[in-house]
Amino acid sequence: MKTDIVELVKGVGGLVTLPDVFIRINRLVEDPNSTTTDIAKVVRQDPSFTVRLLRVANSPLYGLSSTVDTVSKAVAIIGTSQIRNLALSTSIASTFAGLPNDLVSMDNFWHHSLYCALTARILARQAHKCDPEAVFTAGLLHDIGELVIFNRLSALAKEVLLLVLDSADELPVYEAEWEIMGFDHAQVGGELARQWHLPALLEECIAYHHSILEAQRYPRETALVHIANILALMAELDTLDSGDVSPINPRAWEITGLSEDIIEPTVREAQSEIAEAEKLFLGN
Amino acid sequence: MITPSVPRPPIALPGFEHVRRSWNKTYEAYAARLLPGEYYVTVNDEGVYTTLGSCISACIRDRVSCVGGMNHFMLPASADADGWKSTSLSAATRYGNFAMEHLINAILKNGGQRQNLEVKIFGGGRILAHMTDVGMRNIEFARDYIKTEGLKVTAEDVGSVYPRMVVYFPATGKVRVKRLRSLHNNIIAEEETRYLRTIETKPVGGDIELF
Repeated sequence: MKTDIVELVKGVGGLVTLPDVFIRINRLVEDPNSTTTDIAKVVRQDPSFTVRLLRVANSPLYGLSSTVDTVSKAVAIIGTSQIRNLALSTSIASTFAGLPNDLVSMDNFWHHSLYCALTARILARQAHKCDPEAVFTAGLLHDIGELVIFNRLSALAKEVLLLVLDSADELPVYEAEWEIMGFDHAQVGGELARQWHLPALLEECIAYHHSILEAQRYPRETALVHIANILALMAELDTLDSGDVSPINPRAWEITGLSEDIIEPTVREAQSEIAEAEKLFLGN
Repeated sequence: MITPSVPRPPIALPGFEHVRRSWNKTYEAYAARLLPGEYYVTVNDEGVYTTLGSCISACIRDRVSCVGGMNHFMLPASADADGWKSTSLSAATRYGNFAMEHLINAILKNGGQRQNLEVKIFGGGRILAHMTDVGMRNIEFARDYIKTEGLKVTAEDVGSVYPRMVVYFPATGKVRVKRLRSLHNNIIAEEETRYLRTIETKPVGGDIELF
């Protein structure tokens, strides 16, 4: 089964590739000898990312006190590892445009992912010891395995969705995937993250957002994305009734130290941010 | 692990034997799965469920004798973008009338009394942003029909942008409406479009049986 997933992910290699600017920034962030000047230089070489970065840095979503009008200022204020996250986040939707499918509209897919990113970021601010911007990116990427499955295994993916509906929506999608395919989208996404050499935090959050106890190095971040995924559904469906969405693993509350009281304010805050976030992350 | 034994399904009323039913663990009851264009009536303690995009389901029961059921329908497109295939309003509503009459008649035939009927309506969502609001047309038709028949809507959840999962228990009148995430929009829209094609290609004149 593991080899099937590896092959499946290899099969999309030519269709979807990481943005060049992310790869170059990633290399510099990992290199202890690199400086912020090096990173600013790489950013400047990509005019379209430069524009996106400055837009994000000046948006109310980030609430920075001073105007960020130059790349070097952005790098200094935002920090290099955050710039790396943004290089991925701001281009992820266009990156995956190369993997179209007939089952789910890309707008609807990214709408849910962005809600997950926003709720993860809000939760991380409460949970402490978690980097809000890193889990934002993890939330945005958590379901990328779905896009691989929808594109490469569309007939099986359709069976999965029909099975969910036949169960009167009682069966979660990942369990239906197990039943029909023998593996789920979290495993596929985790494998994609591994082959792309994404930071380990992202790989674990993507791979284990439905099986949080398997996370080794980033259990808190993974549990946060798990909760965020469910709260994102609540925000999308405009409900606060936990019976309307899949259950949250009770261990996720223990691991993150958060309590269920935060559900309502988190959902409401994400709903108030979604329009601005869509302009920044899903706009052209 | 011991699998708890699942009881045998209750006997279906004549004419409804073909509707697919399965055991629902959450409700601990059998439930019939309706597709667009189908309907189901029962005198048993069992559920009926369906997924709705822009389609409508009417859930009707006799609150005294507890016979009841659900339908699932939509009106074919009238004069719009597909002008060459335009269907007059009366021809369009014909399909809605069929769906409502079949359901009500089957309830009355199985012991229901018109004065005891209670009606709930669901669906009519706008799940495809680029399409005209066909859901609203379906909602208006259902409301008009129920009013003309002198019946009362006791509950409804219609319109908006969500697809819905409706699970209805005619014996008790209990209904569970769950909004579905947009992940399911295309599958549901495709099911409805397939149904729409079958009714649009049927001749509107003559005495045709639709169900």
